[in-house]
Amino acid sequence: MRTRAAVSAALASAGILIAGWQSGIHVADIGSTVASAAGSTGSTGPSGTSGSTGSSGTTGSTGSSGTSGSTGSSGSSSAGGATGASAKAVATYDGSVVQTRFGSVQVQITVQAGKITDVTALRLTDAERKSEQISNRAAPLLRTEVLNAQSADVQTISGATVTSAAYLNSLQAALDAANL
Amino acid sequence: MNAQLLSTRPEVRRGSCGAAANPFEGQHRRRLLKADLLTVLFWASLAGAVALWLADGGAAGFSTPAGAFTALGIVAGLAGMDLVLLMLLLAARIPLIDRTVGHDRALEFHRKLGKPALYLLLAHGILIAIGYGMAEGLDPVSESAALWVLVPDMWLAYISMLLFIAVVVTSLVAVRRRFPHEFWYAVHLLTYAAVLTALPHQFSVGGLFAEGTWQRWYWLALCIATGAALLYYRVVQPLAATFRHQLTVKRVVQVSPGVVSIEMSGLRLDLLAGSGGRFFIWRFLAPGLWWHPHPFSLSAEPVQFDAAGQGVLRITVRNLGRGSAQLASLRPGTKVAVEGPYGLFSSAARSRRHVVMVGAGIGITPIRALLESTPFHPGNATVILRGHSESELYLGEEILELCRQRGATLFHLTGSRPAGVRTWLPENSARAGHRLASFDPKIAEADVYVCGPAAWAQNVLEDARAAGVREDQLHYERFDW
Amino acid sequence: MQPTSELGSSALRARTFGSMGTVVSLTVPAGAVPETAAGADGGLDDAAAAVELVFARMDEAFSLYRPDSEASRLARGELSLREASAGMRDRYADALNWRLTTEGAFSPERPDGVLDLSGIIKGYAIAQAGESLRSRGITEWCLNAGGDVLVMGSPVPGSAMSWTAGVVDPQDRSALLSAFELGGGPGGWETSTRRALATSGSAERGDHIWTAGTGGAEFIQVSVAAADIVTADVLATAIVAGGAAMLDRATDHWDIDVLAVRRNGQLLATPGFRA
Repeated sequence: MRTRAAVSAALASAGILIAGWQSGIHVADIGSTVASAAGSTGSTGPSGTSGSTGSSGTTGSTGSSGTSGSTGSSGSSSAGGATGASAKAVATYDGSVVQTRFGSVQVQITVQAGKITDVTALRLTDAERKSEQISNRAAPLLRTEVLNAQSADVQTISGATVTSAAYLNSLQAALDAANL
Repeated sequence: MNAQLLSTRPEVRRGSCGAAANPFEGQHRRRLLKADLLTVLFWASLAGAVALWLADGGAAGFSTPAGAFTALGIVAGLAGMDLVLLMLLLAARIPLIDRTVGHDRALEFHRKLGKPALYLLLAHGILIAIGYGMAEGLDPVSESAALWVLVPDMWLAYISMLLFIAVVVTSLVAVRRRFPHEFWYAVHLLTYAAVLTALPHQFSVGGLFAEGTWQRWYWLALCIATGAALLYYRVVQPLAATFRHQLTVKRVVQVSPGVVSIEMSGLRLDLLAGSGGRFFIWRFLAPGLWWHPHPFSLSAEPVQFDAAGQGVLRITVRNLGRGSAQLASLRPGTKVAVEGPYGLFSSAARSRRHVVMVGAGIGITPIRALLESTPFHPGNATVILRGHSESELYLGEEILELCRQRGATLFHLTGSRPAGVRTWLPENSARAGHRLASFDPKIAEADVYVCGPAAWAQNVLEDARAAGVREDQLHYERFDW
Repeated sequence: MQPTSELGSSALRARTFGSMGTVVSLTVPAGAVPETAAGADGGLDDAAAAVELVFARMDEAFSLYRPDSEASRLARGELSLREASAGMRDRYADALNWRLTTEGAFSPERPDGVLDLSGIIKGYAIAQAGESLRSRGITEWCLNAGGDVLVMGSPVPGSAMSWTAGVVDPQDRSALLSAFELGGGPGGWETSTRRALATSGSAERGDHIWTAGTGGAEFIQVSVAAADIVTADVLATAIVAGGAAMLDRATDHWDIDVLAVRRNGQLLATPGFRA
């Protein structure tokens, strides 16, 4: 009888958990006149429709993965010349190494009298790691309908307003660092 | 002294009809089915709590470290709260649970869940603080402070956490021993405050239970059902029973030194038929006594109409604590409030044709009531009474008479137990190598009812298991609390 | 590794500075700003200084964090709106207008009643900074202030290429959720109705928290692309505050594209955000 209880309890629990999990993946689209796109990020279920490439014609000429490949290398060379400002640095803060679509980037900001006076890139990625990052990261994101290959190539980042402190580890900081 | 007082001759006359059929088989099967059902419900409700979160797409939170901490925190909180609700249901004296596993088993399980529930709730608080802290770049302590100050209803949740810790800590047996029972009981009532203060943040802050989600309705229904069960079975039912039966103390009879039988007359006692051996919680509405609840078993089947046309209930009480001592001086006419009957120490637990009843000290009294009412054919019952001396075999005369009438074998086992040996038997009997099976060779195919002090009863149960008695045949009522 | 695109980052130059509690980035194509005696990037440094000045002036007047700002004096009651500067009164009037058109989802007042124009000031600062760049003859740039973006021209001067802005994934801030072409369209930037992109978020304390009564629980992040940055910024804020009802109203009444992220990660997007 114990076995019967254990088996039924296990089956019932498993059933409930699987049902919950399934409905978690396929969270139904709830009515909004706005067109809705594919499901939650990060989950690995069957995805929505695959993104059609080349929808935005203006960027048709852009190469897909190689484009951002040049982001870091030239950025670091120009960084040296740009940071010659006579900053009497009161405090500098190093961001953590952030793995981004553009590779690993570390940013340093200099704060003087409570103001950011300087932003420098401490570390920029090498091309190999970058392409690896792109291929690693691409899969879950490309799955969603809103992304396509060209989106790897962005010049700026929009996000909920970041504080100066949060900027340190943000994608925008990584981009800026590459172009400093 | 060790004496077999009554032996019935083997019943030859109804060999054909009695031997094969087990009248309790259906009842037993249904009870086991219900027990399994309760087990399934228990686990299903826990799985349901986690499924609420999964269905909200919660698993996606594991994509980042901060999200993983937060997600684990949410799951811990859901499971913890679910356990708390289950604990409340286990303590709600719901008939389905009481008639299936028994009040004492339900409370035992209730106690076992205390610590896991507390750990889950603590983990909930800590993991959420870490998860949110990581998302915001704050350490968990600062994050906790920020949550307290900035998020509505969170201060209540912190108070709730403190209350839960207080309740569990005071409930731990070691601590419980050091405080009077009343103090422990009062702290336990704080559970309700702890649960109530924990509720607001679940519905106002918990994104899972946002307005318009089915999860909110499920959780609300769960909380309301638990509250309703508690209110109905612990407040409404007892009040109804008290008004229905109108019990008053009829007389108090000295049974032996320090032991009294209290007889109460009342109305509609036919409703309590078959509850001999089960316990009620009594409150004698006399000055200085009314607030003290006494859990005592009936020591006789309820009498529907005595010579005077009144219904009569009887309990037999030994002068144990301060509260029990006062009971000897109860005046006739004292009103009695009653909750019950509770427990499985009755025929409802029977699973076999054969029955063995073992009682020690004051634990003999529910055996007396059970012997009076539980069905068996002559020769299919054995009663074993255990005490230091003959005078401790309370109600011995009545039991002897009942055994005679119904055809049960009766043993009196008296004397001290041997030093340093774990046995339930007196010295001479233990030395003679007696076991439970020595008193009833058919014990492996019998229901075994045991009532007496905890340590002694454990020894009886071990002996019974050694004799091949399965768990579902063992019926044990704790008598020391 | 071969740079296959003319869009490699070597083609871009950026300058950053802190203002209004966040970081402002100015990005231009290399060579889009004339050289000066100070060096190849001298023109860019001057342009960045001009942008910084615009932000600093705005912040001086409108910051509630500066006790001496006009906004702080207004908040303390030392100054009445009647006595306030024309700029303050204009912004206040604009904000009230936005409150009307968004049916209250956007409000220039904090819950405690203090006038708080910071919801539109950043947008105005970006817009003004853009004007200042334009007046200096710089016509290819991208301004990003704390995630709100305004662009002009193209990252590749003279081409029809549009600026591409990534949208941060609110559930993993080191990843992108989507991207949007800014300043694009059949006629290029000149005729584009999507020159600005603003993103607002509600997930101040992780996505578990839901604040009762505001309806803001619905979306943890909303991005709005519009012709001008103030509209984009205000509507993104309003949709976060007003939920699906406000989202529908916004897409009905304004020429915008919206990408909204529900608490559970689910996306709502207008066609402009679809791949």
